[in-house]
Amino acid sequence: MKTIFHVDMDAFFVSVERLFDPSLIGKPVVVGGQPNERGVVSAASYEARKYGVHSAMPLRTAYKLCPQATFVNGRPERYRDCSKDVFRVLGRFSPRVEMASIDEAYLEMTGTQRLHGRPLAAAHALHEAVRRETRLNCSIGIAASRLVAKVSSDQAKPNGILLVLPGQEAAFLGPLDVRRIPGVGKVTEKNLHALGIRKVGDLARLDEDFLEEKFGKWGLALAGKSRGLDAGGWYDAEIGEAEDPKSISHEHTFGEDTADVEALEPLLARLTEMVARRLREHGLFARTVQLKLRYSDFSTYTRAHTLDHATQVDTELLAEVRSLFHRNWTGRPVRLLGVHAGALEHSEGQMSLLEQDKSDRWRKALTAIDRLRDKYGESSVSLAAGMKGRFRERTHENPAGLPGKGPKPDQEL
Amino acid sequence: MEFTVNKSDLVRELNLSQGVVEKKTTIPILSNVLVEAEGDRLTLTATDLELGIRCSCPAEVKRPGAGTLPAKRLLDYVRLLPEAPIQVKFMENHWANLVCGRSRTRLAGMSRESYPELPEMPEPLAEIPMGLLASLISKTIFAISAEESRFTLNGALLLLRPGKLTMVATDGHRLALSEDAMDEGPSDAQTYRALLPKKAMSELLKLSQELSPDVKVQFSGNENHLFFRAGDRLLLSRKLTGNFPDYERVLPAEQPHRITLARDEFRSTIERVSQFSDERSHAVRLQFLPGEIRLHSSLSDTGETEENLPVEYEGPKVEVGFNAQYIADFLRAVGESSVYLSFRDAASAGEFRPGGDSEKGAYRYVVMPMRL
Repeated sequence: MKTIFHVDMDAFFVSVERLFDPSLIGKPVVVGGQPNERGVVSAASYEARKYGVHSAMPLRTAYKLCPQATFVNGRPERYRDCSKDVFRVLGRFSPRVEMASIDEAYLEMTGTQRLHGRPLAAAHALHEAVRRETRLNCSIGIAASRLVAKVSSDQAKPNGILLVLPGQEAAFLGPLDVRRIPGVGKVTEKNLHALGIRKVGDLARLDEDFLEEKFGKWGLALAGKSRGLDAGGWYDAEIGEAEDPKSISHEHTFGEDTADVEALEPLLARLTEMVARRLREHGLFARTVQLKLRYSDFSTYTRAHTLDHATQVDTELLAEVRSLFHRNWTGRPVRLLGVHAGALEHSEGQMSLLEQDKSDRWRKALTAIDRLRDKYGESSVSLAAGMKGRFRERTHENPAGLPGKGPKPDQEL
Repeated sequence: MEFTVNKSDLVRELNLSQGVVEKKTTIPILSNVLVEAEGDRLTLTATDLELGIRCSCPAEVKRPGAGTLPAKRLLDYVRLLPEAPIQVKFMENHWANLVCGRSRTRLAGMSRESYPELPEMPEPLAEIPMGLLASLISKTIFAISAEESRFTLNGALLLLRPGKLTMVATDGHRLALSEDAMDEGPSDAQTYRALLPKKAMSELLKLSQELSPDVKVQFSGNENHLFFRAGDRLLLSRKLTGNFPDYERVLPAEQPHRITLARDEFRSTIERVSQFSDERSHAVRLQFLPGEIRLHSSLSDTGETEENLPVEYEGPKVEVGFNAQYIADFLRAVGESSVYLSFRDAASAGEFRPGGDSEKGAYRYVVMPMRL
């Protein structure tokens, strides 16, 4: 029998902001940008949530619902730093910690009894250690599967600990809304409601064959999940054995639509830099690059190109991104640009006969640049081409693509 | 225009034009072949504006003139006709009547007015034996880049020096250089350089199959075009523009290790081992050990294979990754039954050459390894 902890930080971004500005304590706070800006809410304090504000909601809507809230710009680097602090504490409790996103983690606690005591005692110690060392609150769910641990930390919120005893999973999940199952989003919820399925218990009583017929493979996973099993995709993996991303991408929406090459090109450079940086972080090389182009009327185009060798060098990726852009851009005002790297490989593969020296020199320089960024922040060094393309990075406590955050093909953070 | 032509003559010459005719019908007239009858010859011209071919065959011309007919349909139809003379008569409305045996056919053509003029061939710079030209092409054409954005690599560099013709092609990962001595070179001591597109090279290879290797090809070039004339056939191609990379820089100087290999044995080993290499990268590992090469490839979910080749090698243990496809390409193109490989280490280019001392020509094939 396994023992798994799911540690979820309480209103993470807001709590971090309050560390830096205590005057925000007790007030409705919306993180993500100013009320008159484009873009969406990254996080909202419990006080703001009372007015119906929630993450992923347009900032302007949030303002209408709760004009008295304090709106703050997201500060991703602050959150990342705090997240690393939390991770350090967690690492003392288990060698197998998996950060599922910036504000939540799974811990494999199986077999740690002699070291940390029984699960509840260990959880209290962990909770206390996090609070003491980071001044942040978290909630902890404990169960024999990742899925139930995650659902139970959600039920424990805020600032609580909840243990689901082995064998009690069905009784615990049964009365909950289907939406509480990680992976069930708006669409699945609607489809389930249409079948008269509202509670997890309703789902658990159904025939697996029926679910498979209605929802395919995902239906089978759903059946397993409703019984508290780690079923389907990511949940099958061991904690700490994170799979490599299938692709890496970044995109950005302009504050105002633009057809100015002087604004478009720098953004492409900036996005490409961000993608390449993550490629190097993961030790991966991309063989395809894809450009995403959205115009003012929301018509969206993606165009991909396969490179003749795999690379993680900014300039090599950028050359392709630029050429894709100039071949496909109609000259109309652009709303959003995105850069995506795919067909990821673990090794560089074929070396270049003509340009290997250049490529190797770039890689050495970029390794040094990455170290500077680790130390002084992401914006400390950048390609000249990307200088004007800097933008305030949007952050989400609930990044799409992670379990329980709704289906999306890429892992984005 | 009215003429009579032999079916087999017409099919042979039309065949040569098929590779040149525009496949995408953005400009409809380019799907057509220009037919001109004059004196006792019929001349056929095809072009896609990049490449052009003009060839001719004997014909009995009743009334000279010119018109255009859809190239593919014409060939597809004429090919099926019996071996007999074909009478062709063009009408006022640009349609043509074809009569052959008991077949009578009407085919819609277009006026020759809108057919592009091909440039005139300037004075020949050199005469190249067809066999030599074809050999240089087949030893380099496979190394040309398929990456359209690298347009200067979409063809081969052609270097004409007194007494010597050289062709060099590279895709940025490997480079093939082939050169041969030639009696008739340019008279002055100047080097003529031009970039010959891949498509022209494959059409020249096709043409070479119709001709004896001894046929002299007259070669010439002007500002934008290159010309090859073999008897009654003229192939012309737009030059590629841009600078071909400085290939001499990447030709390895002395390499510390050198291994002689039997071509066919090496080739079948490479082909077997590459069955378990990644479909996209074709990566195989070559481990050089005293007295043998150990070749290995593996696919995580499929399987793996290892094979060893006894060779004379006494150097240190070196492991190098190569694209098996690249090696196989060379082994298919090389004429000699033994080849040798020289190399330095896992991060430097390896070089293949035909075995034996070829006095006349040189063939060098440089391949960059893979990082695995």
